[in-house]
This record gives sequence, C-alpha cells and structure tokens, in this order.
Amino acid sequence: MLQARRVRLKPSGLAGRILLALLLSVICAAALIALSGHDPLAAFAAIARGAAGSEHQIGASLNRSTPYLVAGVGVALCFRGGVINIGAEGQIAVGGAGAAATALAFSAAPAPIAIVAALLGGALAGAAWAGVATAIHLGRRVHEVLATLLLNFVALLLVQQLLAGPLGQFGAGFLQSPLMPRSTWLPRLPGFDAHPGFLIAVVAAAACSFVLWRTPFGFALRVAGSSRLAAAYAGFSLARLTWGAMLAAGALAGLAGGIEVLGVHRRLIEGFSLGFGFKAVTVALLGAMEPLAVVPAALFVGLLESGSLAMQRQIGVPSALVTVIEGLTMLFVLVATVARK
Amino acid sequence: MIEFLAATIRIATPLALAALGGILSERAGVFAVGLEGMMLAGAFAATVGAWASGEPAIGMLLALIGGAAIGLAVAIVAVRFRADNMVTGLAVNILSLGLTSYLMRIIAGGGRPVNIHLTPLAALPIPGLADIPVLGRLLFTHPPLTYVTALGCVALTLFLGRTQAGLTLRATGENPEAVFASGANPLIVRMLAVVSGGAIAGLGGAVLTLQQVGTFTDGMTSGRGYLALAALIVGRWTPWGAAAACLVFGAAEAFELRLQSFGVPVSSYIIQMVPYLIALAVLAGLGQSSKLPASIGQPLQREH
Repeated sequence: MLQARRVRLKPSGLAGRILLALLLSVICAAALIALSGHDPLAAFAAIARGAAGSEHQIGASLNRSTPYLVAGVGVALCFRGGVINIGAEGQIAVGGAGAAATALAFSAAPAPIAIVAALLGGALAGAAWAGVATAIHLGRRVHEVLATLLLNFVALLLVQQLLAGPLGQFGAGFLQSPLMPRSTWLPRLPGFDAHPGFLIAVVAAAACSFVLWRTPFGFALRVAGSSRLAAAYAGFSLARLTWGAMLAAGALAGLAGGIEVLGVHRRLIEGFSLGFGFKAVTVALLGAMEPLAVVPAALFVGLLESGSLAMQRQIGVPSALVTVIEGLTMLFVLVATVARK
Repeated sequence: MIEFLAATIRIATPLALAALGGILSERAGVFAVGLEGMMLAGAFAATVGAWASGEPAIGMLLALIGGAAIGLAVAIVAVRFRADNMVTGLAVNILSLGLTSYLMRIIAGGGRPVNIHLTPLAALPIPGLADIPVLGRLLFTHPPLTYVTALGCVALTLFLGRTQAGLTLRATGENPEAVFASGANPLIVRMLAVVSGGAIAGLGGAVLTLQQVGTFTDGMTSGRGYLALAALIVGRWTPWGAAAACLVFGAAEAFELRLQSFGVPVSSYIIQMVPYLIALAVLAGLGQSSKLPASIGQPLQREH
C-alpha cells in the first residue's frame, strides 16, 4: 500500500548505513559552521584537540560518555524487545537521589562497602522508578512511551522536592545535597582525570550483550522485538519480558545517576542529569540497539561534547552545534535503520 | 481573583495553541512528541522575525513556518520512512533545541546570543464587549494571539467534525486502510496533518515570545510542549477538552505563583507535578477503551 516502498537491506549493511547517517549529520554541521563564518575543518580540529588532546581531556570525555553508555545499553535492551522506554531521564535522576541517600546513610562504612552500597542504592531506585512506569503500562494498558515520558517530569520534580527537604543542604542558596562522605567518592584512575565509571559501563555493556545473545531471556526478548505475535505463539510471556527489560534498564539508568553523583559532583545537585536520558536514547540508536556497539556510540557523543567546549573557547563556534549534530544524527539513523523492522 | 483567572488564561494560551496542533497530528495517527521542538522553533522564528522586520505579523508568519519545518522533519522521518513516532519526536526536540540556540548565537556573529527586546503585544479590548463589568476584563481584553487560540478551538472543532477533509483526517487516524480504499492517500493526509499541526504549535511558541516575554532564551519552552501533549490526552483528543485541560494546568501554575508570594508552606514542586499526574490518571482511567486514535503510531504498511 502507498508509495512507501518496502526496502529490504541486509543487516550486514547496517553499520555502513549508520556511518553514512553520521557522515551526513557531520556535513550538515560543517555547513552550519560555515554559515557562522568559521572554517569547518578548523572547528572540527578544535573539537578533536579539546576532546582527546591531553590525558586530562581524555578523562573528561570518558566521564562524559559514562552515564550515556550505562543508561544507553539499558535503553537498547528495551528497544530490542519492542519496549520503547524513554524514561531514562527520570530513572537517572531518581537513581542519583537513591545513591546520594544511601551514601549519606553509609557515611561510617569503609570505602569499598560504602561505594558498592551507594551504587546499589542508585540502581534500586532507578529500577523502582522504571517499575512504576511498567506497572502503569501493563496494569492499566497505558502506552509505555507516555507512561515513561510523563513520569520523567514527575521524577525531576520529586528530586527537587527531596533536595528542598530531607536530602538538601540547609542554607546552600540553591538546590543541592551536602557533600557526600569521602568514603563514597569514586577514586580517580591513575594518570587520567577519570573515575572508573567508564569501566563499569563497559562491563555493563558486555553483560547486556551476553544477556541479549546468550540467554533464553535475551532470545525471547529479541523474538518479541521482531514480532509480538511470534513471541506469544512461542509461549513467551510478554508481560514478564517487559518487566525484565524495564527493570534492567531502570537499574542501569539508576546506576548511571549514582556514578555521576559519586564520581563527578560528589553531591546531588538539581538538574545534574538534565538531558542525559535523551542522550541515552541517542547513543542506543547510534549503536543500532547492539549493546557492544553502544560503547563507541557513547564515546563519540562524549568526545564530541567535551571537545565542543574547547571549540567554543578557541574558535568561537557556539557549542550548541553539538546538540544539532545529536538531533540530526538521531533523525538520519532512524531513517537508516528503519528497514530493520 | 480576576488577577488569578487572568494569569490562568495567560499561562494556558501557548499550551492550548500547541495542543491544537498536536490534536491535528494525533487524530491523523502520528504521536505529537515533537510539540516541544515545534513550539521552540516557533518561539525562535517569531522573535527573530519580529526583531528583524519590526513587524510582529512577520514574526507570526515565521513562527508558522518554523513550526511547520520541524513538522516536516517529523513527517518525513516518522511518516514517509515509518520510523518510531516517539523517538522521532524526541529527535526533533533535540534538533530544535540545538538549532535555535546555535542560530541565536551566530545571527549577530561573535558567538554570543543576540540581545533582543521586543515590546510584548498589547491587549486588544474588543469594542463593546470589553466594557462588560467583570467578564469584559476577563474574556475580551487580551492580546491578539489569545483570541486566535479561542478561534482556533472553534475552527478545529468544526474542521474535524463538520468537513470532509476533517473526516478523512480522523479516518486516517482510526483506519488508514479504509481511507486508502476510499481513494485518498493516508500517507499524504498524515504528512499534511503533521506539518500543519507543527505550524500551529509554532504559533503557540510565538505566544511566549511575542506576547509574553519579548525575547528568546535557550530552551525557553522548558517542557511546555510536553505539557501540551499531556493536555491533549487529558482532553481526550478534542479541542475544547484540551483547552479545558490547559486552563486547569494554567490554574495550577497560577496557584503555585500565588502560594509563593503568600509564603504558604505547600511545596511548589508537588503542585508542578499535578498536570503530569492528572495526565497519567486519565490515561490509566481510559484503559483499553481509550479514545486514542486506533492506528496511532502505527506505520503505514504496503498491503500484500
């Protein structure tokens, strides 16, 4: 029906098409840079230098990529199962609050125990928030996108409320928690100005890849993602798959929030994760919903973002350009991967 | 009290206009997650247009075009290429945020946002009606785009319910195969609905800049597009319902502003949650018997 042609493309061409989509958005970005009266090549060079020019900058880029990667693999897992979870934004924020609350409660514990407890607290809080969305989605048959999207706003306000009340630092002037106990700070990697969050993130991606490709749950999830009918016919419980994917994604998003709080800010700050959840969707898309491919996708976005600040400082091209590239990349990748369905 | 109601209407107007655009899109079967980006593009285009030309009308025209451009992106990616509606909406919102912030900085050169201060559009009292004691001030003394919003509700209600084109649009949202069988092209219908919905939502963004703030700042819609999305759900995809929901949301925000000024110890964050919680409750209450257009979000497939 209609003019929309059904195109069948081999999965092997997928990586090529995604790279093409990336190239197209970079070309558009170059045009925008030229429009501002600057030299695109010089601007890109400034981005590259700013992103990876020194060990300090590499560390900053890795820190930047970490929450996108951790939350992004969770989003990829959900999308693979046909569950469009765009609630990472709220789950990260709630996870950060959960980690902060746990860290403050464990202030007397020795460092490794306190860190593990705080990160677990973050993951649990994120999973719980994803659980609320899942319960509304499955229990009341509300579209999962609307449930997760609306709960994002509730989550951000909830964290603000917590910061204005029990978690807040009295008299700080703006919404933030007291400094986390030193025992819960993530250590710095020797030589780099990075916390070990990126390593945790890569392990999470590998674990998700294993679950997706080497376990019965992952198989059922992939079947459900390609055809709900086939999954139901095979006797897989769609409700159980949805719960599994959503709770895993929520826990990962919560972990991302916890890592950001303990590794970067060392306190909970209002809006610390603003836009992270949407970036998680961006990197999941760019990684074609393949957990291991989300690693380079998140690195790309992280490098781009930390490099763009240097570009703005040195050449004067506004760093908002990165947001344009992210939006364009998402659109082009959507078009490039749509034939997979 | 009149102050409170006036504030309610003022806050509700941009939301309602965006929600009208969203209804057009969703009734044709395309989720309107991109409303935020459409509003933002409209707000930006209106500011720059009015600033460069000195004519608010040019600003409004550009707002329509700006919103429609974002709508066109959604139409191409989500309708023509059948990508997921929601993720496409998210993508255009990010794109619009980046593009408006970027362009705002390069317009004047030098990498700093250009400094624009417009005089907000003045209220146009409707002769005769505006002199009615209380009602006149409340209903008939508003800036122009507020009247446009009210007229838009009437026009969209008539369009959807009383015209052939409106029927085709609704049928495309419910049962595109039937539309195809009747000789119309649901693909074109959806694309047109999304683009014109984008234009209307863009004008909603212009309300913020031309009529209220007088300037553009990065991401200034700050979630109003999503609020409009919630409103059209609460209003069950009807113009009057959505407008009523916007008034309720507007009242909640106006109430919150009052509370702050009186120092009442009710948390403003809890009050700000109200619109989203109402939307969730309404969606949960609708359950499967929902008024959600039957084929919404489903790509148009070629029949075998």
